[in-house]
Amino acid sequence: MNKERVIVIGGGVGGYPAALRAARMGAKVTLIERDKMGGVCLNKGCIPTKVFLHSASLYDEVKRGSIFGLTAEKLQIDFSKVSARKNAVVDRLTAGVTSLLRHKNVSIVNGTAVFRDSNSLEIMETGEAVVGDKIILATGSIPAQLSVDGSEDIRLLTSDDLLALDSLPESLLIIGGGYIGVELGQFYCRMGVNVTIVEMLDRIIPTEDAEISGALEKALVNEGIDILTQTTVEKIERSGSNKKVVLATPAGHTEIVVSEVAQSVGRRPHFSGLNVEKIGLATEKGRIAVNEKMETNIPNIYAVGDVIGGIMLAHVAAAEGECAARNSMGQPTAMHYRAVPRCIYTSPEAACVGMTEKAAGEAGREVQVARFPMQAIGKAVLQEQTDGMVKIVADKRYGEVLGVHIIGPHATELIAEAVLAIEMEVTVEELAHTIHPHPTVSEGIGEAAMVLSGGAVHMP
Amino acid sequence: MTIKVIMPKVGLTMTEGTIREWKKKEGDWVEKGEILFVFETEKVTNDVEAPQSGFLAKILAKEDDVVPVGGVVGLLVKEKGEQVELPVEEAEAAPEASPATVTEVTEQGASPIGNNGKARIKATPMAKKIAKEKGIDLRNVTGSGPGGRIRVSDVGSAIDAQAKAVEAIAVPVSEGKLVKLTGMRTIIARKMLASKIETAQTYMTVSVDATRIVESREKLVPVIEKIAGVRPTINDLLMKIAASAISRHPIINTRWTPDGILWFDTIHMGMAMALDDGLIVPVIRDIATKPLSAIARARAEIVEKGRAGKLTPDEMKGSTFTLSSLGMFGVEQFTANINQPESAILAVGTVTDKPVVVNKEVVIRPIMKVTLSYDHRVIDGAKAAQFMKTLRELIEEPFLIVA
Repeated sequence: MNKERVIVIGGGVGGYPAALRAARMGAKVTLIERDKMGGVCLNKGCIPTKVFLHSASLYDEVKRGSIFGLTAEKLQIDFSKVSARKNAVVDRLTAGVTSLLRHKNVSIVNGTAVFRDSNSLEIMETGEAVVGDKIILATGSIPAQLSVDGSEDIRLLTSDDLLALDSLPESLLIIGGGYIGVELGQFYCRMGVNVTIVEMLDRIIPTEDAEISGALEKALVNEGIDILTQTTVEKIERSGSNKKVVLATPAGHTEIVVSEVAQSVGRRPHFSGLNVEKIGLATEKGRIAVNEKMETNIPNIYAVGDVIGGIMLAHVAAAEGECAARNSMGQPTAMHYRAVPRCIYTSPEAACVGMTEKAAGEAGREVQVARFPMQAIGKAVLQEQTDGMVKIVADKRYGEVLGVHIIGPHATELIAEAVLAIEMEVTVEELAHTIHPHPTVSEGIGEAAMVLSGGAVHMP
Repeated sequence: MTIKVIMPKVGLTMTEGTIREWKKKEGDWVEKGEILFVFETEKVTNDVEAPQSGFLAKILAKEDDVVPVGGVVGLLVKEKGEQVELPVEEAEAAPEASPATVTEVTEQGASPIGNNGKARIKATPMAKKIAKEKGIDLRNVTGSGPGGRIRVSDVGSAIDAQAKAVEAIAVPVSEGKLVKLTGMRTIIARKMLASKIETAQTYMTVSVDATRIVESREKLVPVIEKIAGVRPTINDLLMKIAASAISRHPIINTRWTPDGILWFDTIHMGMAMALDDGLIVPVIRDIATKPLSAIARARAEIVEKGRAGKLTPDEMKGSTFTLSSLGMFGVEQFTANINQPESAILAVGTVTDKPVVVNKEVVIRPIMKVTLSYDHRVIDGAKAAQFMKTLRELIEEPFLIVA
């Protein structure tokens, strides 16, 4: 059997799992990456932000140490060390990816790919040609850019910039109260920066359950972050070395002077320069169009991850990469997005999967809802992290778990159980009957399920 | 990982099978549960499903090859291009450990309804709940989830298919009222459909002059009433006569099995009986040895118990031939569905006065039409015709049963 030649363009979390899967399935794989292995996730997204937030949360906890009987004197932030550790972690993980690829004999080509035809690419830097039977596009995304009056003269920082600052600014205004905005906002706030978050809609993380965003907003405001909702940026101008930002709020116009202005208003698919027009690859609304098998309109070309839009999360890209690799190797696989977890790594952490209460109602489901507060969970109490809750949205008829929304300690770890529950079409009955380890915060999931199936034990 | 595909054992006496057809080529991807190959034992062909998903790496037994039970016929691998590990000779491979699953093979003696799935059905909790409520038998649903797990959407498709079938019957389409399936309805549905699908049903009708049987019954009424305390019916006589005809044509009293045709020594007569909400077939055992009085009494007893819902499962199983009559509704002629695993069923119509030609003269005679549905896998047309000829003679001259 002649080996199938698979080319993967992009070494991010969509591309490298695709390359590894195809290699495992017997393909001769070439991976083309113009920057560092690991893409946005490892270099400019998930991992570096979480390194930052881990330092911030440790700092916050040690500061509160006296409750636990611990006193730390002269606790200080050394931002350059925080930054250096971030780089070290990123380097270690990207090296890990490279070594996995080498272990599976994936040829790595450093360079920028351009389509010559639907079976071959040229590496711009070297003129080298790469030919393959199947091509998987995983070229990712770039931060979306706002156009605000004044933003031609004053560069708005992106999340990329916020992860690469040399020193801490005095104050920072972040446009956009989504996942990235609140995470970086909390980090810089905890580093001692005066942070303002401006959100156009009526609440931060507007795509998530209203109770979750309400609870998170309260926690962030308590830490000293200014959150302005239903607010838009009208104009930005220089004011000495600072920036003056004119805001339109429900109460009228207001001005705020800050040292830096950043924007985190989402990301957009990136494939410019690939020359997809030349080979007639179909796009729609600025993304590569694919079906549920990740096939594009050209039979041997697949696309995965942020470049196809949809849910632009690392774990989704990885699943799509696997899916495309299997299909490219003749094993029919379809993507489904029933149970995609969404995590926010602030403290308290927030994590959600499935439908929000509102979305379930709009989908015509008759919904029943249970909440179980962190205050009633022993582990949360002993950790002094009692803000938050587990909320389960279930269908009334059979008790099907439609959505689970958690805010509180370890939420991003706890959500995995809920993801499995939704993936497996579990009902509250099975969740309630599942023995949860004690003492852990996961008991909250069991108890919330019991609220809908026989009644909770640890609640009046 | 290399997965062996072996020749399964599908019947007690099976020792080897002949590969008839491979449904997949080497290098093809096959999903667990997809039909991988077809093999044949003396007369039966069997579909064999892939024991697991994978690429068909190697076909070891080609078409027309004869392979002993437990012999490796092919190899699956999980990853394309993966090195296959050729099996070492495993002569004593236990057939019980067969990883291959064979579809729709009825065990000898087991009715297709009886084997309430001991095998684990992989289905999500939601799918199970919905299926239970909607009366969907998960054994008939194909799962689309990992490893063939049945998901809500699969049950949804099954419900849709069922709804479509109902819609196709109910024209014009109206909202209607959905009445949940009872256990009896589910069994009837499965059994009737299985009968249509799994047997080679063929039909044969004869017109019979009912003059003598009607006369005989009239003569017998006071006699039987005295002995048994019940009035004999035409059907009682017909059952007795049919039993007599079967004794002379034992091929009618048989059962198809994958290993051969099972011939029964005893005739257990099934009697199709309508209930308000369904149908049951109580059995009169060893009918050939019973006098008419005993048959009439047994019939009266099971009818009464049947109406009261007091028949035990034992009283409704084990029949080897069935008689179904719609004469009382004025139905002249109809075909009945073979009550599997029997080989034949007799459908009896009403007695109607008809002009017939006797000795070149047109005369009026009471005529009855009886129709045999028979499984052509077991009973050929000529054999059925011989039975029907005897049956006709006996109905027209009932005293011949003593011959």
